[in-house]
Amino acid sequence: MTHPEKPPEVWRRLPSAEWNDQTAAHLLRRTTWSARPADVRRAREEGLERTLDRLFPSAPLEWPRPPGLDGFEEEWRELQGKIREASGVEKRYLQREQRERSQAALQELRIAWLQGAAKPENAALAKWGLFLGDVYVVSADKVRNASFLWKHQEIVAAHALGPAPALTKAVSRSPAMATYLDLARSGKKAPNENFARELFELFVLGEGSYTERDIKEAARAFTGYRVDPRTGGFRFAAGQHDRGRKTIFGKTGAFTGDEVIDLAYEEPAAAEFLPRELARFYLSETPLPPEHVAALGGWWRGAGFDLRKLARTFFGSRLFFAEEYRGNLIKSPVQFYLGLLQDLDLEVTPLPRYSTSRLRQMGQELFRPPNVRGWVGGRAWINSSTLAVRRQLVQQLFAPLREENLNADEQRILAEARARGVDRFTVSDRWWDEHVGGAPEKAARQLVDALLPAGGAAERVIRTVRDFLAEGSSGRRDERRRMAAIAILQTPEYQLC
Amino acid sequence: MNNSALPFLPTTRREFLRRSTQGIGLLAFSRFAPSFLVQSTLAAAPAPEKDRTILVLVQLAGGNDGLNTVVPFEDADYYRLRPTLGIAKREVLPVSDTLGFHPACAALHELLRNGELGVVQNVGYPNPNRSHFRSTEIWETASDSGEFLTSGWIGRFMDNACAGAPTPEHPACVHVTGDQPQSFASEQEHSTFGLTPGVRGGGRNEGGRLLEAMLDGDDHQEGNAGFLKHTMMNALVTEKKVQRVLTGYRPETTYPDTGFAGALRSVAALIAAGFSTRVYFVSLSGFDTHGSQLPQHARLLRTLSEGLAAFQRDLKAHRLDGQVTTMTFSEFGRRPSENESGGTDHGTAAPLFVMGSRVKAGLHGSAPSLRLERNQDLTYSTDFRSVYATMLDRWLACESAAVLGGEFRGLPLFA
Repeated sequence: MTHPEKPPEVWRRLPSAEWNDQTAAHLLRRTTWSARPADVRRAREEGLERTLDRLFPSAPLEWPRPPGLDGFEEEWRELQGKIREASGVEKRYLQREQRERSQAALQELRIAWLQGAAKPENAALAKWGLFLGDVYVVSADKVRNASFLWKHQEIVAAHALGPAPALTKAVSRSPAMATYLDLARSGKKAPNENFARELFELFVLGEGSYTERDIKEAARAFTGYRVDPRTGGFRFAAGQHDRGRKTIFGKTGAFTGDEVIDLAYEEPAAAEFLPRELARFYLSETPLPPEHVAALGGWWRGAGFDLRKLARTFFGSRLFFAEEYRGNLIKSPVQFYLGLLQDLDLEVTPLPRYSTSRLRQMGQELFRPPNVRGWVGGRAWINSSTLAVRRQLVQQLFAPLREENLNADEQRILAEARARGVDRFTVSDRWWDEHVGGAPEKAARQLVDALLPAGGAAERVIRTVRDFLAEGSSGRRDERRRMAAIAILQTPEYQLC
Repeated sequence: MNNSALPFLPTTRREFLRRSTQGIGLLAFSRFAPSFLVQSTLAAAPAPEKDRTILVLVQLAGGNDGLNTVVPFEDADYYRLRPTLGIAKREVLPVSDTLGFHPACAALHELLRNGELGVVQNVGYPNPNRSHFRSTEIWETASDSGEFLTSGWIGRFMDNACAGAPTPEHPACVHVTGDQPQSFASEQEHSTFGLTPGVRGGGRNEGGRLLEAMLDGDDHQEGNAGFLKHTMMNALVTEKKVQRVLTGYRPETTYPDTGFAGALRSVAALIAAGFSTRVYFVSLSGFDTHGSQLPQHARLLRTLSEGLAAFQRDLKAHRLDGQVTTMTFSEFGRRPSENESGGTDHGTAAPLFVMGSRVKAGLHGSAPSLRLERNQDLTYSTDFRSVYATMLDRWLACESAAVLGGEFRGLPLFA
């Protein structure tokens, strides 16, 4: 890998002598969903460089298209046509039908995303896409057409490893973004400022690095961006575009939207904004020392704002592996859920009440972040009610599915999944056989080793579990073992990565 | 800002675990937590009185369009600025010769006529910020436009009102929102609790006791591990209590079938159960009406109006209305001139509602002037911190200058 210049000291590669089980586990926990013992061993043997190659390859992650999406797009267009011609009660009926269809499609997208992201080989890029999508936010709250939301995440995935300005430009043409931030309705007579404001505040520069006038002028450059109703793709309506001269960041010209994005990346704040977001998402809620952000940002600008280079430098750096950043980041609900599945060798249950609804209750509803800023993360994930749901989710994974309680649709979905060989929904006897056996002392140690990161707390948990297992009558051994596993996954330690 | 010279210190380790929750205070405290000092004077402080006053904050997230909430129906400028979005005079529900409510606010209109609803007009602050997040932060931390505070105004109220009090039986503040509102962030530790409608607490069984045993180690943890541990301990204790209250609650009225009304129903349940909680926080979102505003805004105002009215009816039936004041707030109002998408962009000042049987009903403050150029913004006439000062001094009985960091003139909101 060649850099335009060597990154500054703290951002240099971790010395190979320090690559061991602990550092490998740290890299895997932060860049993917979990660090199973076998994954750690493999990474340690391959070395840091090859592990980074594998986690952040040169080719972007291609998401398989969810099967129902083509049919949905066709339906949507058809209904759209009918709605235009209808009026009164009929119009309202059709609109409701359209909303319901989209809700159903969205539900499918969420499951499809989870299933794709749950594959260990996809984990790092899925998480990277989640990070970028948490910067370039769109939400089902406003984007009613579910296929736009899927397209948006495809756009982000496709540009996730290239230059950041290209990603920003592609996103400005994303139908979901055009809808979400009202670009699709912004005309030269009265430009809508929503996109221009968030472009500067939340995508590229950060609050305070622009003036209200910059926003008003930039809004003019983004006029005429439309969504083609026939294809659902981007269309430029030249007649609606303001071709006049604009003054932005003190520069004057008849700028287009793309040129405004280039101007924004020329601003000093652009070099530091995304690295700061990156550190907040992956490293620590406590902001990095400004000089470190400035150093990384300066180097990144020199590297052409390349996102893959940024990831490889960041995740391979001495700073990333520093002691103070180990095992103390609060897992997001998605990481908690997908990490549980990997640790327990399970697959996504394609039923909302076992998967997507749980994520929503934990505070992370896929494709529907709370607002333009996305999920705040860190300690904001945790309060008494989200913790209660985390605990319930663990219990759910250890209890057999009560299929007689499922409704007909749910039973059909499960049958379809099973026909495709997807059937590991709750913890099986096999998992117990492979991971836990023997006397209380040994069983307790095995459980903790399989489920908790090593550390001071682990010894305390082992003692408690050992005593608990030794207490019960032998007839209830399996039941107590199960309760112990559940409690371990509910501990504060398991909420951290 | 804290007028108590006594440090906030627990008397036992268990009490420490029960008291501490989210917030910056925990980190500051953790540094000397291992040595638990006994402050017997603290334990002797009086318990909160039974007739304490309660404040319910209702956030209208996204920026509520004030001009279409309280409509200046005699102002030609209003219709000039709002050629398609303006609400016609014959549709508004009049509250004065010149102003009236949006037609979706019928329930609020009735409350006003019953003497239970006040409207503070044109509330804002100097040098308004039009970013959702920054402006929400300004409102929640009660800062100046250019000032950055880490604690919220309710958090500082708790710092002042609760410092030195014995560990309360109930949380000091409760939020019915996914995240803890920034308003609750405090310098010291206070027990706060969040609940999500529709989420039931985990069952109490042997497994739950095992988890408690795992948490009960003597080792002291810093940072996020300590934070999680304390939050979990607290949650286990409070959860049991709250769950009992919510499932057993019998409201004295029918609440509308909306998430917002459901949240208010939960608040009523906790108040009726005699919780010593002083502040509740609920939120209704979707007010960021950049496009196709008319139907969306009407739906939101109806949800707000009918939810608040049901809550007030329920409180009255329980004879608790004398104890509770409810106030709304939103990060900003919207631009007086409508945009090309049938919506409105981010603006500045807006009216807010104050509801309660001890509230002086009717209009407070003065309406904004609409003699504006296209895309010009309203100039506020009442600083939002004047409203806060009134709530603190006149309702919560807490010296406002200590919480707001300065004197703000109160308003005659209470009879």
